[in-house]
Amino acid sequence: MPYNIAMISDNFFPQPGGVESHMYQLSSKLIDRGHKVIIITHAYTGRTGVRYLTNGLKVYHVPFFVIYRETTFPTVFSFFPIFRNIVIREQIEIVHGHASLSSLCHEAILHARTMGLRTVFTDHSLFGFADAASILTNKLLKFTLSDVDHVICVSHTCKENTVLRASLDPLMVSVIPNAVVAENFQPLSHTSSYTQHRRDAPGPPPRLGPHDTITIVVISRLFYNKGTDLLIAAIPRILASNPNVRFIIAGTGPKAIDLEQMIERNVLQDRVLLLGPVRHEEVRDVMVRGHIYLHPSLTEAFGTVIVEAASCGLYVVCTRVGGIPEVLPRHMTEFAKPEEDDIVTATNRAIAALRVGKVRTELFHNQVKQMYSWTDVAQRTERVYDGISGVLSHDEFYQGAGAGGGWSATRGRAGVQSFALIERLKRYYGCGIWAGKLFCLCVIVDYLLFVILEIFAPRSRIDIARNWPKKVFKDSKDKEVDGSKDTGIGRKRSARHRREQREDSS
Amino acid sequence: MSSVLQRITSPPSQALTTLQPTPSTISFTVSTRPVPKTLPALFFYYLSILTRLLAGTIAIVGVWTKWRLESGKPTDILAICLGGVAEAWLIKLAHSLPWRYLVPSAAVVILAVVRRGYTEESLLIIRSLGLQTSTSSSTYLTTSAKRFIPTTSIQDIFIHEAFKGFEVRFYLSIVVKGEEDVVVVFPSLLPRRQILEEVWRGARAGLWEVGGSAGVGLEKK
Repeated sequence: MPYNIAMISDNFFPQPGGVESHMYQLSSKLIDRGHKVIIITHAYTGRTGVRYLTNGLKVYHVPFFVIYRETTFPTVFSFFPIFRNIVIREQIEIVHGHASLSSLCHEAILHARTMGLRTVFTDHSLFGFADAASILTNKLLKFTLSDVDHVICVSHTCKENTVLRASLDPLMVSVIPNAVVAENFQPLSHTSSYTQHRRDAPGPPPRLGPHDTITIVVISRLFYNKGTDLLIAAIPRILASNPNVRFIIAGTGPKAIDLEQMIERNVLQDRVLLLGPVRHEEVRDVMVRGHIYLHPSLTEAFGTVIVEAASCGLYVVCTRVGGIPEVLPRHMTEFAKPEEDDIVTATNRAIAALRVGKVRTELFHNQVKQMYSWTDVAQRTERVYDGISGVLSHDEFYQGAGAGGGWSATRGRAGVQSFALIERLKRYYGCGIWAGKLFCLCVIVDYLLFVILEIFAPRSRIDIARNWPKKVFKDSKDKEVDGSKDTGIGRKRSARHRREQREDSS
Repeated sequence: MSSVLQRITSPPSQALTTLQPTPSTISFTVSTRPVPKTLPALFFYYLSILTRLLAGTIAIVGVWTKWRLESGKPTDILAICLGGVAEAWLIKLAHSLPWRYLVPSAAVVILAVVRRGYTEESLLIIRSLGLQTSTSSSTYLTTSAKRFIPTTSIQDIFIHEAFKGFEVRFYLSIVVKGEEDVVVVFPSLLPRRQILEEVWRGARAGLWEVGGSAGVGLEKK
């Protein structure tokens, strides 16, 4: 059953980042699966109005938002008229918000519920509970997520975090990881004939001699939470104990100065190469220059970059924080505690393992390719949409809840949240002693605004936009496309699985 | 209650008129002018024209009379045109009203009389020559804003969407060679999608024969 979906977030291209590419990849895969997807974001300089991206993905760059971008509350209602207009003209059924720091997304979920639409929220980040900013964000998150149909998190750690922050029922939170476009992250020696050969029998591993140079790559924004301080402390020690090791560091940020000072203090200019900021397209070219990828981050919900590194055939050394341990299998990574000594020992272990030839980094690419694909992400997201719109039965969607076990005050018997205003108010009221009342007030004002808009800007006066003319995906064509791209067993099964699913549903 | 509010706040309805006097000429006119159909409506329509004429004449004649009286010149023409009674009444009126009331009120009346109560925008297409867009002026005294674009400099004509106020609106626009901005057809009315699509089809057929296409890739419908 095809849906009309609106993806909403403050973060979208041209700004680079993980949320942005997640939204883009997910949307284009959902379009491939026959849904209609639009993206609503705010206007960027040079990127305003209504735009079309590849595959007929329509992007609304809503103006007048940039001015108030920092403040959230004053804009709660000002977005409603234009949001309602877009939703009606595109006949949206499901509103899917991304990123917990995006006020646009929170507002959209609130308005969507007022308009009686299904809502999904994807959380991409982890937050603490202690500092003032986190408390405020968490309260806001609780407000929006009091009345949302389903939440998607990118890792199990992220799920745990979100459930605690927003006091959610864990049953209504799914975990769907990010993915990478493996084709864009191929190792240097990766050619088609080479793959063919590898599939038959992995040959002897290319050995690194004891005097060959091992290059360690670090690509991250140089912020505190990315662990740049750890990196600064660890680099001199790693270089001191391993003479044939070089560092390549790409990225920029407030900690770049500290890094430069460290290099100058220890006179490491010939062994540490600072590249400065690199574009996302160039990340692969930087990665393939190295053997080990070091990721000293202090907090990370998923860590797409380590998947990208493994896909490029790099051995990954990373801190055991957040969702990182779930991301890659054991043989691709060397874990460390987020402290200086442990990172040094882990890196030394990784260097030793590479020298001995214990790690088959040349096989990583195909393994990653089988583990992560956006098609799979889209498929699982689609199942969430099925679940919230009642296509899947409650028991089937909330597996493990038992018959009616997931029934709660917030969720109706059918597994879908009620749209009745009084039911919604009940949910919001539970947010806190003062906050609950404040949120209720907001919801009531929002509802009144909705009624006023229905009178002064009636639906009959809004034109329905035409859909992008879509290529009809026939089963035979689908098979052909998949057949040509098939390289692993996992993909093949997923294609067949999909076909079966489609036959069942039709 | 809500339906009444809706009717009051709704913008004037737009109507599309298509004229094709010869096979190579076609004109599309979008107008908010109400067309009287029933007999009472027709009657009120002509009555309103009459009232406007009368009100305008009285305002002008009033000012003229005042000026003649103040400057001590004779107002014999009034007696010849309107008769003695009307002249006496007008002179009395001119005497009783001081300039500071007469001039503003006359100005208001004249402005109300010459104001055009509707907007009319049109697109005229002549094959192998070009097209002309026009937007009616707000008063009867000024001419409409017209723009002619020769066929040779038309690169494409397409429908797209844009944010306008709290809405997203469709617009029909023409890409002109050598110009950075597109030319929006029907810029002040911005008719609804159905009308735009009809005009778009007609314009393409009129400019480049049926199914002809000059621009590739930009059009979306």
